[in-house]
Amino acid sequence: MFLDEDGLWKYSLDSQEKVEEYTSFVRDMDRGIGAFLEFDPRRQASGIVKKEGSLSGLPIAVKDNIAVEGFRLTCGSKILSDFSAPYTATAVERLMREGALVVGKTNMDEFGMGSSTDNSALQRTHNPWDLNRVAGGSSGGSAAAVAAGMVPCALGSDTGGSIRQPASFCGVYGLKPTYGSISRFGLVAYASSLEGIGVLSSSLPLMRTMFETMKGTDPHDQTSGTVDSPTDTVRKIGVLKNPEGLAPGVQRGYLTAVKELRGLGYEVVEIELPVLEYVIPAYYTIASAEASANLARYAGIRYGYQNAMAEDPRELTEKSRDEGFGQEVKMRILLGTFVLRSGFQEQYYIRAQKIRTALRNELDRMFTQVDLMMMPTFPVQAFEHDSGEMDQFQQKIADKFTATANLAGIPALAFPVGIEGGLPMGMQFMAPMHAEDRLFMAAESYSRVFTPRLSSYAAGRTTS
Amino acid sequence: MSVSTGYQTFIGLEIHIQLLTETKAFCSCHVEFGDEPNTHVCPVCLGYPGVLPALNERALFMAYQVAEALNCEISPITVFDRKNYFYPDMPKNYQISQFGSPIGLNGFIEFPYEGEIRKIRIHDVHLEEDAGKMIHAGDISLVDYNRAGTPLLEIVTEPDLTSGDETEAFIHYFRRFVRFLKVCNGNMEEGSLRCDANISINTIGSGLGTKVEMKNLNSSRFVRLALNHENARQQKVLEEGSTVHQETRLWNENRDITVVMRRKEESHDYRYFPEPDLPPFRPDEKYMSSVRESLTELPLFRQLRIAAEYKLSNDQAAFITEELERADFFEQCVREGADPVEVFRWLSGDVLRHLNREHILLHESTLTPRRLAGLLRLISEGTIHGKIAKKILQVIFEENMDPEKILSEKGMEQITNEDEIRALVRRVIDEDPAAAAQAADGEMKVYGYFMGLIMKMSSGRADPQITRRILETEIMQEK
Repeated sequence: MFLDEDGLWKYSLDSQEKVEEYTSFVRDMDRGIGAFLEFDPRRQASGIVKKEGSLSGLPIAVKDNIAVEGFRLTCGSKILSDFSAPYTATAVERLMREGALVVGKTNMDEFGMGSSTDNSALQRTHNPWDLNRVAGGSSGGSAAAVAAGMVPCALGSDTGGSIRQPASFCGVYGLKPTYGSISRFGLVAYASSLEGIGVLSSSLPLMRTMFETMKGTDPHDQTSGTVDSPTDTVRKIGVLKNPEGLAPGVQRGYLTAVKELRGLGYEVVEIELPVLEYVIPAYYTIASAEASANLARYAGIRYGYQNAMAEDPRELTEKSRDEGFGQEVKMRILLGTFVLRSGFQEQYYIRAQKIRTALRNELDRMFTQVDLMMMPTFPVQAFEHDSGEMDQFQQKIADKFTATANLAGIPALAFPVGIEGGLPMGMQFMAPMHAEDRLFMAAESYSRVFTPRLSSYAAGRTTS
Repeated sequence: MSVSTGYQTFIGLEIHIQLLTETKAFCSCHVEFGDEPNTHVCPVCLGYPGVLPALNERALFMAYQVAEALNCEISPITVFDRKNYFYPDMPKNYQISQFGSPIGLNGFIEFPYEGEIRKIRIHDVHLEEDAGKMIHAGDISLVDYNRAGTPLLEIVTEPDLTSGDETEAFIHYFRRFVRFLKVCNGNMEEGSLRCDANISINTIGSGLGTKVEMKNLNSSRFVRLALNHENARQQKVLEEGSTVHQETRLWNENRDITVVMRRKEESHDYRYFPEPDLPPFRPDEKYMSSVRESLTELPLFRQLRIAAEYKLSNDQAAFITEELERADFFEQCVREGADPVEVFRWLSGDVLRHLNREHILLHESTLTPRRLAGLLRLISEGTIHGKIAKKILQVIFEENMDPEKILSEKGMEQITNEDEIRALVRRVIDEDPAAAAQAADGEMKVYGYFMGLIMKMSSGRADPQITRRILETEIMQEK
């Protein structure tokens, strides 16, 4: 309904009537999906929407761990379920300055911890390709909103694959930029040294505009900054020799993608990355350690969920945290606390940092030989809710392909490569630091082989 | 207090100073004291979801100034760490501090004590943020976050101090030190300079004993009392053949004793790890030379130099270098040509009295070095004498005028004309012949009476020496 024949968003929310029409469409659509935790295009006062700007009138959805003043900032958690953002994230502010309109906040795994969005304490989100299946996570709401055609693009955050995995589950593009290239100010911290804001979109050019608009140094985030890299070309792509543990469908898709890349004229070389086997233990050690400190501020004292019966500050904090956090969050806080104990850091946290350094060195070396790498995003396609197909532990193991980019800080882009068994499937490109250009170029060229299409659910409802 | 019983005392300090920055360490909130609770707060210093710290460059610079002034080895790379513990006045429930790579390591500071120069080694200097304040009122607890995020510099000394008295003197000197560097106002009562101590004793030659940490030392006096008390307590424990426990004790100022706060086994594991939100800082040569250039002469060295250069006693030089502004004022006066001893006398006398009475500081007053030097010049040139000078000083303070101008506008020049003075003398003698007769009979105190009258009549302007001489001559003639 809002897309043209090329699948590009053609609808600008530049009048009251259009906003009304759009609002009722999305409300109706989302009833079956559950992508939005909050949806209200009129929330961002119409006066703020600039008529000029490269994104004028463009509706965007924002993951609910990114602050937008006027909206809540729940992080999918009970502990922040009533918390309103008192300020706006730098990245979002930059989009607004170009005329983008934040229409709502999307569901997610609690504090970004999960791969299904089923870890949200607030709502279930269904995959628009099959409502019995998950949209992936943790940016599942953003991925579903884009896949269902409710927004042309959405912001997500990626700590270990949280943009790319749901993007692949839902058949859209997902960009995790170079660490620090987009300010994290306003992104609720889970694992500060690994995560960043990124974009999910059905359109590569739009994704690129979004990225260009958001990136750059922000005085509020002293880890932010970009380096201008010279105009690039991509000739040589490294692919993993034998990626282990892939489901048969994904395995087929992977081999197909390799073949297609060759067909597109790239020189494809097989590479080996032995350190990949250490990615997951290192990733979860660091992420949990940082999470244990980052989530300590939710203490029931200044904001957020409060136990009403507590007798003293200590009890208030203990009970509020006990009742406000979900199981997965508690597990990671405990794990992080464990690995940071004095006397045990050498064994866990410091060892993880050493693996991280080794991985970076390995990738640096790799990128002297190839311009890009291609890997699977996730070993399986979207799985069913509560299926037991993947328990929490298996979901963690499965993050090894995506978490690699987070540990190294390098940019990665998940792109759809086909439909298998009625479900979308995606692979990802990885580039050296600040070489997002290469990602866009390669994904653009792959789109000649496979053009992502709207999910069946959305297609059924929008052919009007 | 001296202990000479075969024991040796080792005292180390952890000093926290609040840096005199305009804004907090990681946000742009103003640093203000005594304002309404929770009026200088923002999402950053309240630890709201999604915010990030942005390091205050001024605080960092001051930290390097202190580390450099304390002769520390400057870390080529300085890293911030998270120190994890839960407390309601700590918004993030971790403190941004430094653990592995602090700003400075292995320094020392020298200070004067009992006529000697003592050298205290510095373990490290690191930058961190302050917490808020928790107030318990009956069965409710209140938290004020105005102080949360204020930049704090922690200076950790080696256990080189040996008594409560010496430690008190050290803290006095350290206060001078930070005030000279203009990095802290050094006010212990307001908590802008705070200190925890550790103390251990052992038989001479046996090295350090078991360390006891002391907290709640809210003034330098409490530091002395608490350490001397603890020293005696530990000695008694050892003499009784028991052992000192490793623990933290609080100074109870109402009962003048130290009491156990927590034992070692209850101590925290802070689970330090590098702060991912702040990139490491590598001070380059240019940065460090700008730090060094910004440093002022430290109080001890200025005291020694001023004593030698201006031939003053150690106590006089100590008074002058008690405050940076006073020392600057003094040297400026001398440069304007004033006599150093006279400047000292006035600064420690009439000037100080006036400042104390008005509760103002020297550099806030209307007295400038040029004005004081001018006043002293009028005296040395014989234009005025001491009493007039005091009056002029008063006018300088009250009316913000130059002494030369006061002199000419208010007619305060000394009367040295003998005829003029003789006329005054004759007048008082003629008005009270009886007294003059007494004086002539040798009643010396009547001279004072006449002198007083003459000074009153001349508004103190009559030159006292000439007046006295003429008065004596005239009285003699009455005989």
